[in-house]
Amino acid sequence: MKSNGRSGTRETAIAAVALLIVLVVPFVHRSPAFEDFVIRLSAMALFATSLNLLVGNTGMVSFGHGMFYGLGAYAFALMMQMTELSLPVAAMLAVLFTTLAALCVGAICVRLSTDYFAFITLAFQMLIYSVIISWQSLTGGDQGLRGGLPRREIFGFDLASQLHLYQCCAVVAVLGLLALRHISASPFGQTLRMIRDNESRTGFLGVVLWRARLWAFTIAGGFAGLGGVLAALFVSGAYPELADWPNSGQAIFAVMLGGINSFLGPVLGAAMLLALNDVVARVTEYQGLVLGIVILIFALGLRRGVLDFFRVAWSKDSQ
Amino acid sequence: MSAVITRRTVLAAGTASLLAAPWVARAQANTLRIGMQSILSGPIALLGTSSRNALMMEQDRINAAGGFLGRQIEIVYRDSKGQPQEAARIARELVNSSGCELLIDAEASSASFAVQEVVRSLDVACIHTNSETSSLTADPKIRAPTAFRVARQGVHDAVAGSIYLAEYASAKKLNKWATCSPDYAYGRDTTAQYLQFFKQFKPDLEVITEAWPKLGQPDFTEVITKLIQAKPQALFTLLYAGDLSAFVNQGNIYALFAQMAVATPNVDYPVLAAIKNLPAGIQSATRYLETFPDTPANKEWGQAYFKKWNERPTNWSWQNTVAMQFYEQAIKKANALGGKALAAALTGMKINTPFGVDGTITMRDDHTTIGYAIGWGQTIPKEPFIVDVKAADWGKIIELETEWKKQQKYI
Amino acid sequence: MDLHALGACLTTSACVVTQTTSGLIVGMLLFLVAAGVTLIFGVLKIVNFAHGTFYMLGGYVAYTALGVTDSYMLAVLAGALSMALFGVVFERALISRVYGSNVLMQLLICYAVVLIFDDLVKIVWGPEFHAMGMPQAFQVPPLFIAGGVVPPFYAVLIGIAALIAIVLGVGLSTTRLGKTVRAAAINAQMVSALGVNTTLLFAIVFAVGGGLAGLAGALAAPVRSLSPGMGFSVLIESFIVTVIGGMGSIAGALASALLIGLVRGFGTIGFPQFTDGLIYIVMIAILLLRPQGLFGRRL
Repeated sequence: MKSNGRSGTRETAIAAVALLIVLVVPFVHRSPAFEDFVIRLSAMALFATSLNLLVGNTGMVSFGHGMFYGLGAYAFALMMQMTELSLPVAAMLAVLFTTLAALCVGAICVRLSTDYFAFITLAFQMLIYSVIISWQSLTGGDQGLRGGLPRREIFGFDLASQLHLYQCCAVVAVLGLLALRHISASPFGQTLRMIRDNESRTGFLGVVLWRARLWAFTIAGGFAGLGGVLAALFVSGAYPELADWPNSGQAIFAVMLGGINSFLGPVLGAAMLLALNDVVARVTEYQGLVLGIVILIFALGLRRGVLDFFRVAWSKDSQ
Repeated sequence: MSAVITRRTVLAAGTASLLAAPWVARAQANTLRIGMQSILSGPIALLGTSSRNALMMEQDRINAAGGFLGRQIEIVYRDSKGQPQEAARIARELVNSSGCELLIDAEASSASFAVQEVVRSLDVACIHTNSETSSLTADPKIRAPTAFRVARQGVHDAVAGSIYLAEYASAKKLNKWATCSPDYAYGRDTTAQYLQFFKQFKPDLEVITEAWPKLGQPDFTEVITKLIQAKPQALFTLLYAGDLSAFVNQGNIYALFAQMAVATPNVDYPVLAAIKNLPAGIQSATRYLETFPDTPANKEWGQAYFKKWNERPTNWSWQNTVAMQFYEQAIKKANALGGKALAAALTGMKINTPFGVDGTITMRDDHTTIGYAIGWGQTIPKEPFIVDVKAADWGKIIELETEWKKQQKYI
Repeated sequence: MDLHALGACLTTSACVVTQTTSGLIVGMLLFLVAAGVTLIFGVLKIVNFAHGTFYMLGGYVAYTALGVTDSYMLAVLAGALSMALFGVVFERALISRVYGSNVLMQLLICYAVVLIFDDLVKIVWGPEFHAMGMPQAFQVPPLFIAGGVVPPFYAVLIGIAALIAIVLGVGLSTTRLGKTVRAAAINAQMVSALGVNTTLLFAIVFAVGGGLAGLAGALAAPVRSLSPGMGFSVLIESFIVTVIGGMGSIAGALASALLIGLVRGFGTIGFPQFTDGLIYIVMIAILLLRPQGLFGRRL
């Protein structure tokens, strides 16, 4: 499909340019709303893209991906509140914790076939959600972790400042996406796509299916946790809604709207969903009505995500 | 090739315009914008819509009287669906890009904490109008310099209710109680608060069973049979709105209300209007009642609301009305709109309002209101729905609230 | 956790009888909703995420119909029939376009329908909750059977749900239509090739599934609150029932709905604040030990 070495360099270059543009914007024009948007998008983009490593790359439909997003947020916020760890250490530990959680959940789930896999991930998510709700002494129950996060300075960066938070989130998100891109373009990523396209043939080739799936699930969980860390920074706390079912739904819609077969599809989908939400919220209280109609138009009209649609149109065009 | 570029350009332009849309600055007229956020969709949308109705009436009244500092006001409404992260985003958006200079936070509990964190970093005045969780303002670590609460408060309700219920229970010799409250922070914390004070006033009180249905649980059957099994003399419940209505309807067919006395602080007009067979004799607090305080001004406001919206006001309606009345007076006094100036003006301010038990409500130094009408009475199935209302003693409420704050190490 | 209370309950017959009957009541109403989900999945391999919306609309239609006709029976009929019709429209207009595409596409379409109708309900009936009120005929004191309390209204509901379980079970196994539906569940293409109009068949399945959800919503309307978004918790519960019972199995749905009812009935005594968690643990255990569910065929 692709020669890895050269395209890897090209992608790094694209990512560097994109990052540079995002970082330069505040020096040209400060817009708190734009900065908020980018912060939220970076969390959501990591979340959705990591889900797509499962959905688009491996053909594993998880209904419970939000549990790792929520776990990442809680692990990070709790470590910031209860310990004196510095921010990057707490963030790394939170991602590690989420990765381990994904490994455990994955070990139980990955052997089930498609529909059952979807439902068992959903059940695990609900279980974790009800544990978060019930374990009030630790998590604050349904009210979430309150009282804000202590904003310790790191290397002169103060994350209470919106500009610094913006820069930090942009850098983390771009690096995270680059890493995910690298994984999906690697031989391991190719294996996952083979599993998606024909699992028995891949099995005959000597690939241990459950092991490859478990790796994918674990990695995806870890990156969702990283997204959760950014989300916790944005809201200055952690709330059970982050680990709830509708939040998994958000990621699924981002993936579907943007396109499951394009790496940047979920990022575009996340941006569209966030922008749509922000714009519609200003105009009407009937957001569900508008969002529902838009989803129907996309689902029935394009029948695939926006980026996939353009790619198909594009290749037809070039012929 | 050119076709490819065209498509690429179209795609890029489309994406860019989509991304840019949310923060295209609007032309600013001289109108003063006030941001209001609440739950306007889903099962508890009534919280937001009845708040908004009251605010629309206030906007008309204030604009007719010349606005704030000579500027007409325009309240901007946003739906957070009650989600804390969305609430935080909306608070920032209202101030940062919609140009709102004041905030009314009409969110329920957990979202109001998220809004408060945003307000802390923005130096804008904010009044919480619907969150009853005491710690929001009582805990000095959580309280924010420019955020105030104009709403009833859990601990006030608990003291007032416990005094009333202790007298009632002693008179009727009801010692064995059961509780049935929604299983989330409000239900759990407030039940604990009620029981703490209740036991203080009536030491021989015994709680023989507790039931914790989920919020929005459609079916309460197993909870109802559990309560009936335990054979308590009386039941205390914090269920509200649709849940209370379903509980009463399902309890009715088990004749639950014939088997035990029932007390709840949460019977308000929407519940009264929705339940077709309301049992008589439930001990209930007044959330909002046209006949309490029994003054012409209160009656007039309740009637005006009913006339305009064709439904009765809720507890949330009066709270939002009073919030605007506080803003009005504070802005006059401070002659400014900044967070710090308004905070200074609001602290300790006393205003005249129909919803105060003596015609006034005071904003205390710890950013919360006192002196609003709290009373308990019993239900009857027809108007005025709650009769024999006894007003609570605010002296006693404040005395016990102070004791409670010491226990929590807030002061 | 209150294991002591649970032990005390299990050793007194009155408590066992009462909590078992209330578990039956909860379970039977659950079955009515879940039967539609499992039927639709069994035949069409479509996971109907919009099923809660049928339940909600059934309740609201019955509420309005009661106001117009003043008859609970007509109101229930209106709720059920209108949702059967809505099921056909939903299948023809939307779902039929995504047969064979992946489960996420189905999820997307159903979710859009949920969002749209939650808001439409809010526009038509208002954001505040409604209660239908108990029909006059059932405003009678509860019956006492073997130390347990059974309200007549619930006795009737259980009767109707049991009747429907029997009709579905017998209908699927003996009637021609039922046999065709079962055949289509195994191989729809083959059934189509044999000259059966599968388009019609699929529409009928959606009509039955939607009608059952509407019926459940309408039947429960006198005792439950109506509010926009009320379908969500019912949807989640009926999924759990479907998964535990085996996707596509009516008998499984019945058994697991009763199981969930019993877990709720006794969980509220032993684990009052973790009943939901208990149910998810049951679901996970079933999926691991017997992924096809209690009564399901291995897919």
